[in-house]
Amino acid sequence: MNPINEYALQETRRYFLGRAATGVGTAALASLLNPRLLGADSAAADPQASLGQLPKLHHAPKAKRVIWLFMADGPSQLDLWDYKPGLSEYFDKDLPDSVRMGQRITTMTSGQTRLPVAPSKFAFQQHGQNGTWVSELLPHLGGVVDDLCLIKTMNTEAINHDPAITYIQTGSQIPGRPSLGSWLSYGIGSPNADLPAYVVLHSRIAAGSQTQALFARLWGAGFLPSKHQGVALRSVGDPVLYLSNPDGVDQATRRQMLDGLAKLNQRRLEEQGDPEIAARIAQYEMAFRMQMSVPELTDIAGEDEKTLEMYGPEVKDKGTFAYNCLLARRLAERGVRFTQVFLRGWDHHGSLPQNIPQLCKAMDQPAAALIKDLKARGMLDDTLVVWGGEFGRTVYSQGTLNKDTYGRDHHPRCFTMWLAGGGIKPGVVHGQTDDFSYNVTEKPVHIHDLNATILHCLGIHHERLTFPFQGRDFRLTDVHGNVVRDIVA
Amino acid sequence: MEIRHCLTLCALSLVAIPSNSAWAEESPDFGRDIRPILSSACFKCHGFDDKTRMADLRLDTLEGATAKLESGTTAVVPGKTAESELIRRITSTDAGEKMPPADSGKSLTPREIELLTKWVEQGAEFQPHWSFVAPVRPELPELKQHAAAVRNPIDRFVLARLEREGLAPSPQADKVTLIRRVTLDLTGLPPTPQEVDDFLTDNSPEAYEKVVDRLLRSPRYGEHMARYWLDAARYGDTHGLHLDNERSMWPYRDWVVRAFNDNKPYDQFTIEQLAGDLLPSPTLDQLVASGFNRCNVTTSEGGSIDEEVRVRYAVDRTETMSTVFLGLTLGCAVCHTHKFDPVTQKEFYSLYAFFNSAADAAMDGNALTPPPIKKLATPEQEAQLKAFDEQIAAVNKTMADTLAAIEYVDPMGTPASETLEPKEYVWIDDAAPSGAQLQGNSEWKFVTKADGQVYSGEKATTRKASDLSQHFFTGASPGLKVGEGDKLFAYVFLDPSDPPKEIMLQWNDGTWEHRAYWGEDVIPWGGTGTPSRLAMGPLPAAGEWVRLEVEAAKVGLNPGAVINGWAFTQHGGTTFWDKAGVVTRTPQDGQGFDSLAAWEAYEKAQTNSQIPGPVKEAIKAEADKRTDDQKKQIRDHFLQHVCITTKPKFDPLRQQIDELTKKKAEFDATIPISLVMANMPQERETFVLVRGAYDKPGEKVIAAVPSILPPLPEGAPVNRLGLAQWLVDPQHPLMARVTVNRYWQQYFGNGIVKTAEDFGAQGSWPTHPELLDWLARDFIESGWDVKRLQKLIVMSGTYQQASKVTPELVERDPENQLLARGPRFRLDAEVLRDSALFVSGLLIEERGGKGVKPYQPQGIWESVAFQGSNTQNYKPDGGDANYRRTLYTFWKRTAPPPGLMTFDAPSREACVVRRSRTNTPLQALALMNDVQYVEAARKLAERVMIATSDTTVAPAGSSSSAPADRLSLAFRLATGRQPTGDELAILNETHATHLAKYQADKPAAEKLLAIGESKRSESLDVAELAATTLVCNLILNLDEVVTKE
Repeated sequence: MNPINEYALQETRRYFLGRAATGVGTAALASLLNPRLLGADSAAADPQASLGQLPKLHHAPKAKRVIWLFMADGPSQLDLWDYKPGLSEYFDKDLPDSVRMGQRITTMTSGQTRLPVAPSKFAFQQHGQNGTWVSELLPHLGGVVDDLCLIKTMNTEAINHDPAITYIQTGSQIPGRPSLGSWLSYGIGSPNADLPAYVVLHSRIAAGSQTQALFARLWGAGFLPSKHQGVALRSVGDPVLYLSNPDGVDQATRRQMLDGLAKLNQRRLEEQGDPEIAARIAQYEMAFRMQMSVPELTDIAGEDEKTLEMYGPEVKDKGTFAYNCLLARRLAERGVRFTQVFLRGWDHHGSLPQNIPQLCKAMDQPAAALIKDLKARGMLDDTLVVWGGEFGRTVYSQGTLNKDTYGRDHHPRCFTMWLAGGGIKPGVVHGQTDDFSYNVTEKPVHIHDLNATILHCLGIHHERLTFPFQGRDFRLTDVHGNVVRDIVA
Repeated sequence: MEIRHCLTLCALSLVAIPSNSAWAEESPDFGRDIRPILSSACFKCHGFDDKTRMADLRLDTLEGATAKLESGTTAVVPGKTAESELIRRITSTDAGEKMPPADSGKSLTPREIELLTKWVEQGAEFQPHWSFVAPVRPELPELKQHAAAVRNPIDRFVLARLEREGLAPSPQADKVTLIRRVTLDLTGLPPTPQEVDDFLTDNSPEAYEKVVDRLLRSPRYGEHMARYWLDAARYGDTHGLHLDNERSMWPYRDWVVRAFNDNKPYDQFTIEQLAGDLLPSPTLDQLVASGFNRCNVTTSEGGSIDEEVRVRYAVDRTETMSTVFLGLTLGCAVCHTHKFDPVTQKEFYSLYAFFNSAADAAMDGNALTPPPIKKLATPEQEAQLKAFDEQIAAVNKTMADTLAAIEYVDPMGTPASETLEPKEYVWIDDAAPSGAQLQGNSEWKFVTKADGQVYSGEKATTRKASDLSQHFFTGASPGLKVGEGDKLFAYVFLDPSDPPKEIMLQWNDGTWEHRAYWGEDVIPWGGTGTPSRLAMGPLPAAGEWVRLEVEAAKVGLNPGAVINGWAFTQHGGTTFWDKAGVVTRTPQDGQGFDSLAAWEAYEKAQTNSQIPGPVKEAIKAEADKRTDDQKKQIRDHFLQHVCITTKPKFDPLRQQIDELTKKKAEFDATIPISLVMANMPQERETFVLVRGAYDKPGEKVIAAVPSILPPLPEGAPVNRLGLAQWLVDPQHPLMARVTVNRYWQQYFGNGIVKTAEDFGAQGSWPTHPELLDWLARDFIESGWDVKRLQKLIVMSGTYQQASKVTPELVERDPENQLLARGPRFRLDAEVLRDSALFVSGLLIEERGGKGVKPYQPQGIWESVAFQGSNTQNYKPDGGDANYRRTLYTFWKRTAPPPGLMTFDAPSREACVVRRSRTNTPLQALALMNDVQYVEAARKLAERVMIATSDTTVAPAGSSSSAPADRLSLAFRLATGRQPTGDELAILNETHATHLAKYQADKPAAEKLLAIGESKRSESLDVAELAATTLVCNLILNLDEVVTKE
């Protein structure tokens, strides 16, 4: 912005605030501001302070914010994390009935005459101090494995995308419940008044993707007040819907229009006495601030070259997963409570070996860079990073199986996710699956348990963040969920 | 992608004033005060559900609460707090004894403990939950102070309450505010200045009522009322799950609009939607109405298990019915017996049984019209279809007349020879047939008698080869038709001095797999001993012309085959080829039958004849056994389609029929289709699903209503129709209350029962229970007259109060539940957009039809959609679609219209009867910057500039200059009132600042004015228009404009 305009802007704002302070009266002005927010600075003094509807956090939080790298469509745990060297002997042999145990499978493969085992084509190497096995597809994440807590025993009941992704995001397979992020916005709010508490970033579809749809409900507020729903920062057009002034209207002109608007609304407030008018005046001021703070957020020109390099070659390309990972860090720096980066494309029903390497390439380096970057800035301690999708994939091949190719169907009974940072033990592999990565043999972690654990890291008891609706106190984990104590630092 | 996040600093929503404290009274009322405490804190373990009941204690009935417990104590001893274990436990300081236990997350406030104590003290009276007892028409309360404020019976109840609270009602709102409020409330649009003026100058006592009656007659009324209903009905234009493809449901939406405008009685409205398909001989409209049950989200995701999905649909339909009509949320009972309301899991599945025989498939097939569906022709369309039929019939008549006029005599005589001899048809002689593309190892070489051997005509072809070699063609058109028993032939002459090892003929009917060879088997194509390489024996004699003949069927060329290519192949040697073709009864191109008898014989020999079935049957019949009709069929078919002498008479007629038929089909495709409800012919059995799991059926149940509510009416069928009749029974305790409450909520922001979706034990206690019952009874007794109910509400003094509020009253009653003032709240998403279009003059009031796609920011659908969904890419319709009422905006349920989501519209994936109402900066951004609103501001600016340019007469009482006139008019169009001098000064000042800017920067002005598809008025000064546009943008953002005052 032109510095002269900038100055004019400051002046008009001062004018406005000055007028407002005398016009509305100090008490009324104070009522425009969230008193809990004013206390944000003193949050350090009270670690259990809440900025949302919870009067107070239930215990001292380890994490102040969450970044979830959401691997939509269900990445194959067998080709990325869950090393099963014994499977090579089973190539093209039928999955033993003793393993499947008659459990239901999707109608995409239930009609196959055989369920032949497809061992991963990819080599695994040991990484880190504990020698954790990681696929050759993930060299960068292998490099930060000591910071990760791998959960191999994630499980869910849903076997199809739409219900499964709705389930992990909202705690119910049926549309209508609030998403995790909206629960956080509602429950504990966010320390940054100029940005949403819950931000969603959609990554452009990368090479090697086999992609399903997403749904607005996945970051929706369900029955919570709709202001708690996630705000998708967009990579095309305005990052926030309707953020930019129309062509031909610069920020100084907008300020002048807003000054006129504020004066007239102020008169209406005096006339009518409805505090909602005061709130509206404040919202317009905040909108004006967002018009400056959001472009500042999405402008990565100030990032140093070393940082950019770390996220890989696509980082400067708006909308890529790499760019979004960097943006997630910038959002975390600004105090945004929950950022969810969606990367779609893991639905590899066929030709998995031909496709998954490309998608891993788009994901691996930026995800590892985010960990390193947060760590370098001292932010990993209080930022919880989550990686994973709605379910895993089957050990048996869907469609063609030969030495070169195979496909994998949806698998809900075990899949791998990882957590890192705020409140989670690093360098841990939690839980065991059987030799076919088909069933959990030790320490299952249900998606409700995961959500309970995420809330726990943020200082929230998952059974006590509730909302009365339709005659019942609803919560994210429905009537389930146990904090996974083993992995909590 | 929606952006409804609030970055709010606003503390106002946090100022929670315990709503009960405002009207707490001396003696606790069981329903109002005690049951909610027990329900919230105790019923989970001591309630209705015997599976989770602890210590064998139930506190939801008198018997349970006063029963002697195993411990020897008694929870409640009426009148004796000291002996009541309940009181001892809730007041205990021993953590092991204290109730509710700490790990329940529940605790009682001192006030709640006090209430419980008082209740036991006063006799612990149990009453059934109020909403399960049918309402009786209460006496109108007598008023002590405010009787003068009474306009109709509603006010008596409201004022009585205010008197009890020691509050006074507000005075009547000024007339401008009033007409704007009621116009917005009844039509969703603001009044025009003319309408305001008319009202202001009408000093008759009926002035207001006249306005109300006018608005109730407006077709806009139905559009506005429908909008609320469509939230409840979860109406959308896509399936809502997975691919989220488009579905054709909009005729249902239009039906709802019509139903409101026609003032369809609410009982009928209910019956037709829940069970229109089960009514005796349902009308088209009733079938469309039954689409209410088809509005649920559906999927076709690969891998889904049908039964699981189908169960979800039935659960959704059951829950929607119960939320909308019963005000009960039975979702909990899907998995277990309801903890708080007396509905068992079994009873849930008994209700579910009413919806469990739906005929729609689990997988919607991602289709636009997944059955059951109904095609909906308007009378005009029916007439058009009929007109097509008539035209077709007329041509058919001409055809029949022409037929009748022909006196046909068979040139071959009758009866026809049964042994009609096949004839030779020469296809290749001297040249290849038309269209043939000549190919070969080397070019085709023709010889004449002068330089080689010729059998027939002028020329033959020849080929000299050292090994495998051939010449051939493909692409002949028309092709050679093969019939029953046909023989293919060709003439060959082998050079005796250079005979080949092998010769081969090949035919192409799409493939070349039809071969016959003579001589050695050295050409490797095809399979030995199959029609693709048929051995014909030794080479024919050399040095002479030999006719080769091959039965077509033996080389796989069956009747009906059409040959387009022919190859002459040899291995070594020198050959001459001549005249080739087929021996056939089949008329080839350019040939035809003129003899009926010949044709009959031919047809008889065909095994896959293309002629119509009945004609075929007739021909097959013995000639002397044919009926007259069969004879006629044969003759008619022959004369029309076959006979070379008569066919030309019919060809143009048939062409006419083909064209008409095509046109009719095209027209037919434009007739809308709507998804409707239907049951399977055979009802499905219904079982309790253990923990709600589709694959764990438990006890078998039959369709029934919950026992806490009245039984099905005598004689009512046990199906959806009976269920609907049960709902509208005048003695039903919930139906009318729930309905009037939702309407009340539309006007006042909150229902009398705030939880409009939940009238159960956990729902809010009604603020004015007697008023609710009075309205319910009145509604029923009026014959469920919806318009009358709306009129009753807006005619009340309560509704007509000024909405101005004092700080004291805000503190006392922030949500205006006591109604000491008129309603004041932000307009809904649709009303905001429609109003902006209306005041700017952009609104196009075309009613009904398919959903339209107005402006939408880029990437809303694309960023989430399934690749391959037919709603993956948003393509704005452009033109009028930008300016239609929001009701008609296309609604994709997984990515709903972002401008509406910003203002709290629901996604329409599930039934919603109460929208939230937020106040966020994203709303400010939308109203300031969305192209829809920027364009509206410009058109409003143009409108006021043009309106004030040709008049020098300033509005009465104003002496302002021209810009002031414009700004006043714009203000007035948007708010209904004149700006005050002070307000106008601010508008003028802002305008002057903007004008200075745009005079100095015309390109900026032009850019601003280029926003939106509509063209700007070129006659207006650019800087002036831009400045006025921005002031209009300001006006459209005024709190007063976005608020119903």
